[in-house]
Amino acid sequence: MTTDNLNISETSSTPAIQANWEDGTVHMQGDSYPENSFELFQPVIDWVERFLREAKRPLRLELDLLYLNTSSIRALMDILDMLEEAHTRGTGISAVWRYDAANERVGQLAEEFKEDCTFPFEITART
Amino acid sequence: MEQLDVYSLREVFNRQKIMLCFNGPFTATLIEEIGKALRKHMEGLQESPSSVSDVFSVYIELTQNIRRYTVLNNLQEHAATSTIVVSHDDEGRHVVSAGNVVRAGDGATLAARIASLAGMDKNELKAAFKAQLRQPRDELNNNSAGLGLIDMARKASQPLICSLRPIDGEWSFFSLRVVL
Repeated sequence: MTTDNLNISETSSTPAIQANWEDGTVHMQGDSYPENSFELFQPVIDWVERFLREAKRPLRLELDLLYLNTSSIRALMDILDMLEEAHTRGTGISAVWRYDAANERVGQLAEEFKEDCTFPFEITART
Repeated sequence: MEQLDVYSLREVFNRQKIMLCFNGPFTATLIEEIGKALRKHMEGLQESPSSVSDVFSVYIELTQNIRRYTVLNNLQEHAATSTIVVSHDDEGRHVVSAGNVVRAGDGATLAARIASLAGMDKNELKAAFKAQLRQPRDELNNNSAGLGLIDMARKASQPLICSLRPIDGEWSFFSLRVVL
């Protein structure tokens, strides 16, 4: 059912976001520095919350994010905290963050997020 | 009225090694466009991706903080006129500075917060960042995550420096300098 999927188009200051109910994946790609990040990410937070509550299947987070402003960092942390909680309750959770090896700041940011997660979280530098 | 001397203005810009400067009311579109231009310009200068990212990040945090403040307080015209400057210091480090009109009391609160961050080392700043990251949503003010200043202090190579100049009893001009 298409209504169960989320598809937010990329703009110059916001990432492309796709959430697929069937596949159990959430994918975010691009820069994220809108003035109101909470507004941007609320539908994603709601979707993840509903998936974890209703689907009872593994969820995978795929990130190709570049630059994040601090309010986007906060919103992403909220999402990762929900995934962490689901993981401790026994839901299969995994995440991957792919970034360009030349941009080490993205890698450092990803590492900092990973510090607070106990589920499988892969950070891949593309060369 | 004093005659505008573009040449001497330009001399000041050159002497202070100013790469980019904007003075006027910040709008969302304007901030975004200038930010994109800044990024492109730095990439064109073959700067490392890390320094482009750091300068851009501080630029965004400073301008978005000012935007949030002026919108929240419904500041108009002169009071909404803010300044952002990206320059180099004598050692070639990038410096991002910004200034805006604030209520005197807000300025004092901000200055105290910056002074407390200035006393922290990198590990303490990281701990402060993570603690703020976990602040309950309903305790956050006006969609602000409260992370911007800590983030800038973490990226800076020197403690943040601010100044507060009284305009009248009610208002002050607050400025902040971030050396990367």
